[in-house]
Amino acid sequence: MVRMLNFFCVALAGLACLALYRVSEQTRVANAQLTHIRHNITVERSALHVLEADWENVASPDQIQRLAESQTGISNTTSAQLSSFEDLPRRGDSAPLNNTPIQQASAQVTNNAPTAVAGQ
Amino acid sequence: MSNAPTIFQKRIVIAAAACVAAFALVGIRLVDVTLLNGAISGHRAHFAARETGRADLRDRNGIILARDLPVTDIGARPEYFWDKKQAAHDLAHATGANEAHLAAMFQKKPYVLVAQRVTPDVLDAVMALGLPALDLMPQRKRYYPMGREAAQAIGVTEPDGSGVSGLELGLDKKLKDSKAPIVTSLDARVQFILSSELATARQAYDAHAVGGIVMNVNTGEVLAMASLPDFDPNARSGSEGDSTRNIMAQDAYELGSVFKIFAFTLAMEDHTTRLDETFPIAAGFHIGNHTIHDAEHLPSVMMAKDILAQSSNVGTAQIALRSGPTRQRQFLQNMGLLDAIVTELPERRKPMYPSNWGLTETATIGFGHGISVSPLSFVAAAATVVNGGRKIVPTFLKNPVDSRGAQLIKPETSAQMRDLLRYVVTNGTGKNADVPGYDVGGKTGSAEKNSGGHYVAHKLLTSFCAVFPVHDPRYIVFVMIDEPHGDKASGVMALAGHTAAPVAGHVVSRIAPLLGVPRAPIVVADTHK
Repeated sequence: MVRMLNFFCVALAGLACLALYRVSEQTRVANAQLTHIRHNITVERSALHVLEADWENVASPDQIQRLAESQTGISNTTSAQLSSFEDLPRRGDSAPLNNTPIQQASAQVTNNAPTAVAGQ
Repeated sequence: MSNAPTIFQKRIVIAAAACVAAFALVGIRLVDVTLLNGAISGHRAHFAARETGRADLRDRNGIILARDLPVTDIGARPEYFWDKKQAAHDLAHATGANEAHLAAMFQKKPYVLVAQRVTPDVLDAVMALGLPALDLMPQRKRYYPMGREAAQAIGVTEPDGSGVSGLELGLDKKLKDSKAPIVTSLDARVQFILSSELATARQAYDAHAVGGIVMNVNTGEVLAMASLPDFDPNARSGSEGDSTRNIMAQDAYELGSVFKIFAFTLAMEDHTTRLDETFPIAAGFHIGNHTIHDAEHLPSVMMAKDILAQSSNVGTAQIALRSGPTRQRQFLQNMGLLDAIVTELPERRKPMYPSNWGLTETATIGFGHGISVSPLSFVAAAATVVNGGRKIVPTFLKNPVDSRGAQLIKPETSAQMRDLLRYVVTNGTGKNADVPGYDVGGKTGSAEKNSGGHYVAHKLLTSFCAVFPVHDPRYIVFVMIDEPHGDKASGVMALAGHTAAPVAGHVVSRIAPLLGVPRAPIVVADTHK
């Protein structure tokens, strides 16, 4: 009986060794792959970091303004050029400003040429 | 025959026990790794490992203000180069290094540092050369996408990553410890507008320096802070004329007539003066051995509200004296104007005021002379005046909630001051700051600079403090111009109404739509009457 038990234990130990070796080998390969993937992730994240910073640079307000002025001729909007839906005339109403100059304190803006700004 | 186990049986039992223990350990580890994901052993995998040494600084909308970028130092061992001259030429071409210097060093030294902190694209160009024995040392470099804008407020770091100035120093610990970006109160759009308007003004008025602040009067969040001359934080060496000094926080100024806001606030708070009350102006005002005059010719008698609107020193001195030295000092102390203001910025400046605060001092401090404060301190106190009278402390961290503190002045006084500030813009020296659709209130300040103990008439420090929309204030815009020179557009006048006020108006007209400030109907003037 003891001999049988000994044989069984030795056989089990042998099998466990083989299984552990297999698992260990799989783990080593998986670890190598994981390291490689982590390295790739780091490289990609690093590239993304650079690209994001680069994007902030090319999409910065001064770059956009410079491009808008040079390519489209758009300049800063004055507050008199802005309006809301509530200010739009209803059908049949006459135009609210009717080409009258706008005056508020020192700021004067004519309705048909709204280009002047405060501080005239 | 004895039943006691033999020595061999004992050894077998011990060996079996050792085997069982070993299997048990393997089993526990198996359960730990497969079912508990390494919780027992604590060897959890860190997939989201931190890759930056210092957290990002971002604006309130997520725009990057400062970020660590990967860079590389490149070293070389010339002995392995087949053709040292050609290698020097190629490396100089790829990195921008000096070719003659490299070639000379390759002949003399066994190891040469070719270039420091090169960007990934330059590194790619170097790698494409296929040179042997290059030593690549990964480093990190702090990059500021906004460049010169807000350079002083954001600050810079040492090459080792420690903060040196601005928020980089003030938030140093947070930036080092945090894995998430630090979100500031700054708004890149507002910052750009403020910086560009100030740069235009500096050029137009040939000014020594200019500065500005935009702050939310209810939350205390500083949306923009600019100081010119500035510097390029991405360049390690400054250009001629550059300055790292943040004049908005680091310097104290006698701001002049903008300070009249506080003399009037105190007068309204204590009911020492009625707005329709008249004061003699023409003859000047004698106090002690001094006579106070106005810079411009004003009517001989003026109502209190016109004294503020036309910025009369003579009238304001009389109004300030009604409050008296003790009450004035206590009021300014409560408003935080007699202590250095503490924010996330490490740069701060203690105010300067007379130790002997007598009647003469009370009169001059009433119109902003004899007391020097940092512009940031002034803006915080002015915000308290208009925001319903509650104390506000500026912050450079995003915190979009009502942060008003203790009630320092009555809400009625605050409302009265808002009306007065609007009156200054519609009927006084602040007309050039008005913006159609956005009710701007404000106050001008033209202070003669003190040089060698004397005030110099032609050296002015002009400023304008704008609040909008004035009846339900949300933002305060402060503009300061150091030694402006008049030009044709401003009628050769260098006073604040012609220099600082229009700049503040331009800033308001550009930022108000961006910030979603409700627009009032534009008044149509009938010019045919």
